[in-house]
Amino acid sequence: EKITAVVIDGYPAKALWVQEITNFFIPEVDKRLAETGNYEMDWQESYGGAIVKPRGVLDGIKLGLGDIGVVTTIFHSSKLPSQAISAVTPFVAADSVAVARAVDEIAKEFPTMQKEFDAQNQVYLATGVVLDSYQLFSKNEIASLKDLEGAKVAGAGLNLRYLEGIPDAAGVRGGLTDFYNMVQTGMTDYAMLWPEAAQTFKMAEVAPYMLKADLGAVNTKTITVNKDYWDGLPDEVKGVLREVAVLYRDHVAGIAMERAGESLDAYVAAGGTIVELSPEDRVAWAEAMPNIAAEWAKELDDAGEPGTEMLNAYLGKLRDAGYAPVRDWAAEPTN
Amino acid sequence: MSPMEIGLASVAAIVVLVYIGVYIPVALGVVSFISIWLMRDNFDLAMNLLKIAVGDSVMEYTFATVPLFTFMGLIVSRAGLGGDIYEVMNSGFRKVKGGIGMATVGANAVFAAVTGSSIASASVFSKVSVPQMLSYDYNPRFAVGVVAGSSVLGMIIPPSAMLIIYSFVAEQSVGDMFQAGIVPGLMLAAAYVGWIWVMGRFAPDYIGGRPFEETEWLSWREIADKTLPITLLIVVVLGGIYTGWLSPVEAGASGSALGLIIAVARRRITLKGFWHALLETGHITAAILFLITAASIYSRMLGLAGVPNALGDYLETAQFSFFWVMFFYVVLMIFLGTLLDTSSIILIVVPLFLPLIEPMGLSLVWFGIVTVVGAEIGLLTPPLGISCFVIKATLNDERISLKDVFVGAFPFAVVMLIVLILLIRFPSLSLAILN
Amino acid sequence: MTNGTFKTLATGLSRLASGIAISANAVGTIVVLLLVLVVNFDVIARGVFNKPFLGAVEVVQFSMVLIVFLQLPDVIRVNRLTRSDGFLTVLGSRYPRTHNILRQAINAVSAVFMTLIAFAIWPEFTEMLETRDYFGIPGVFTAPWWPIKLVIFLSAVLCALVLVLKIALREDNFELVRMPEHEEEDRS
Ligand code: NA
Ligand code: NA
Repeated sequence: EKITAVVIDGYPAKALWVQEITNFFIPEVDKRLAETGNYEMDWQESYGGAIVKPRGVLDGIKLGLGDIGVVTTIFHSSKLPSQAISAVTPFVAADSVAVARAVDEIAKEFPTMQKEFDAQNQVYLATGVVLDSYQLFSKNEIASLKDLEGAKVAGAGLNLRYLEGIPDAAGVRGGLTDFYNMVQTGMTDYAMLWPEAAQTFKMAEVAPYMLKADLGAVNTKTITVNKDYWDGLPDEVKGVLREVAVLYRDHVAGIAMERAGESLDAYVAAGGTIVELSPEDRVAWAEAMPNIAAEWAKELDDAGEPGTEMLNAYLGKLRDAGYAPVRDWAAEPTN
Repeated sequence: MSPMEIGLASVAAIVVLVYIGVYIPVALGVVSFISIWLMRDNFDLAMNLLKIAVGDSVMEYTFATVPLFTFMGLIVSRAGLGGDIYEVMNSGFRKVKGGIGMATVGANAVFAAVTGSSIASASVFSKVSVPQMLSYDYNPRFAVGVVAGSSVLGMIIPPSAMLIIYSFVAEQSVGDMFQAGIVPGLMLAAAYVGWIWVMGRFAPDYIGGRPFEETEWLSWREIADKTLPITLLIVVVLGGIYTGWLSPVEAGASGSALGLIIAVARRRITLKGFWHALLETGHITAAILFLITAASIYSRMLGLAGVPNALGDYLETAQFSFFWVMFFYVVLMIFLGTLLDTSSIILIVVPLFLPLIEPMGLSLVWFGIVTVVGAEIGLLTPPLGISCFVIKATLNDERISLKDVFVGAFPFAVVMLIVLILLIRFPSLSLAILN
Repeated sequence: MTNGTFKTLATGLSRLASGIAISANAVGTIVVLLLVLVVNFDVIARGVFNKPFLGAVEVVQFSMVLIVFLQLPDVIRVNRLTRSDGFLTVLGSRYPRTHNILRQAINAVSAVFMTLIAFAIWPEFTEMLETRDYFGIPGVFTAPWWPIKLVIFLSAVLCALVLVLKIALREDNFELVRMPEHEEEDRS
């Protein structure tokens, strides 16, 4: 029996996670289905704005313009609040694989994340993590946390809040494509992004110093399936999609880590200097920040979701994987 | 009918409906809506696509450049900056055969750097330069033709509403598109001047005119007074974008504020004129963005039908060369240009051709310049040539018919086509300034 | 209903619709000014005072929706919606009757399209109102979705109404050339 599947993402086919849908996810599903031979998929892949823009994947899957899609969750803070779990817990793990696994397990052990997607008429399959850690890229030599005081830092989304505890530091909003210019012209002193993106956008040319702060990996992608489509799928296909989504999760996170390593080497080769932020400074920075994790948990608690429990369980999973938080975000009372 | 057939039939249906006079956004929206409904046999899906497209497209941050640059252009026209730069140019070209024509081209090129639309250019220069050319016995067809031809520069030299629209459809940076437009725009201006010079030399009757009477040269003070404001604006807007100090949106806002300050300082604007400029900005913005919204329904419909993928595959198997792809593209744009306005052409053809261009390893920035120049040839061709219409209406002179304007503009359309071919042949002309 | 009362009713309704369209247009016009001010405020706050306005992006997006949809009904009212009317003009001089029917048919199709948009957006509005969805970054700057959906809905309804009244009153004073508006009055 033949089953059609329209796969959508607003990002172009050359983006890391989209490429791996084509090269890993789809062939793997086909392979497993071929073992029993009961079903065969007819894939129709549409990427790069042909049907939806990057922000439009969530609505696209919800409304049936695509059957399977990669939702970029950071665009949807209000519809998918619990997806911010790793963004609100900086200074824990600069490891895509560990964070992807922990977030995915939280999604499967607690009902909240699946409920949020369910409200958008879609079924959660797995979490994707494509960035190993935010770091700071600077035009001028940088040695310690002190250098950030009074500075302007380009960032995007929730990471702007990491700057809140640093005296007189100001976050400036920008997109990945703007950071090169912002640092070059001196509009900002720093840009906050991850090494792989820094290499793509040639940050070494304008920002030869990288402060290795290891703010941490963040989950930004989720594979989802339209609920009506899902309900019409045979159990065998559902099972295979679920299994392969988990493999895809680890596969993509693994590639992200490889790329991160290569990008750091390339940065140094291009004349960049990596300055390690001292452990004391990391603690000082984490302590200076508002506890955005507790804010996040409280908001979910207030909405009747197990926010605090999810936070505890998440940090517990990472601790078990060998990543002790610099500041125990869960230890403090919420109010 | 297969989705692919429905998709292609819908393109034909849109072209026909637009030709018979259906509002272009309505034609795009309604045909796409029905196509999706038929294709998937699902009315709700068609409604859902409408839901996503409406509002989504308007929410694009960079689209704020449309009202901001429109407002800036309207304000500086009212402040008389176009007339000023024309007088200075005229003072420089006075000794040359066809000098007023050359001055018009030059002034248009400079004025283009502070306005985003060709309509503004066409209306400003029909008022200042056509009457002067007529009073010096220039051939009326040449007089209106040169204004029509050079008004096109307004939408090639940045800022330009058309470059903004393309950057949205092709997902390119507005800043990159703006920078890429500079050299082709200047090239076109140079080609026009060259054409006038050649004709002045070999076919003086085509230009007509008699030598200038001895008049006084502009003093340095006057020149400074007439050029400094526009120079300042260009430095802030294009300089801001080029150095990265300002995003295109911010450059548009700064330019608007600065233009307003200049207009007020020179007492060239009343409160009523200011309000009208704002009002018209809103109307133009609403019309353009509603068109873009409808076009995004259309391009998503094509995506759902799989037309871009199928065209790409077809091209791969048919092994069309670069030459033939571009040949078809230019012919299609010129054909649509007879009746469609520039933004509609861009919004209809780019989604069809983008999937063919990208795999060929061609630069999408370069493709954007080719598209904008090609689509703007239509501004000069009958039966619907917006620049020519504006000139005819602005002049309001019975001695010059609409036909005269089109006949006069024709040689300039041919020069545009030649420049377009050069731009296609030598992509570095568009890309040099970026690298 | 007699033809006369129908005409009076339609004319009255048309005056009302025009009034609303013109007022909405004026509000949209003020938003254009607001847009210029907000972006300049951000540029200066960032460049001079090291204190960027972190909500500039959302405010700009919000203003764009307001400008477009508050002004769209007026754009339709004054016949400035993009169209190519070369064929209609030729037709009008030779076959005025066919020409009129075609014009009314086009307005009718357009009214249906605007109605479809209104129907598509209404559930979005009620959903956003209920869930209080927002866009932007929590803790940095956020703006609610529901006013946006409401403006689009009301705009689509008004556009449809303006088009229907154009048909009812056979009022479609088109011109071949759409000149920059207000040119003449301002120059004099
Ligand atoms: Na321009
Ligand atoms: Na034309």
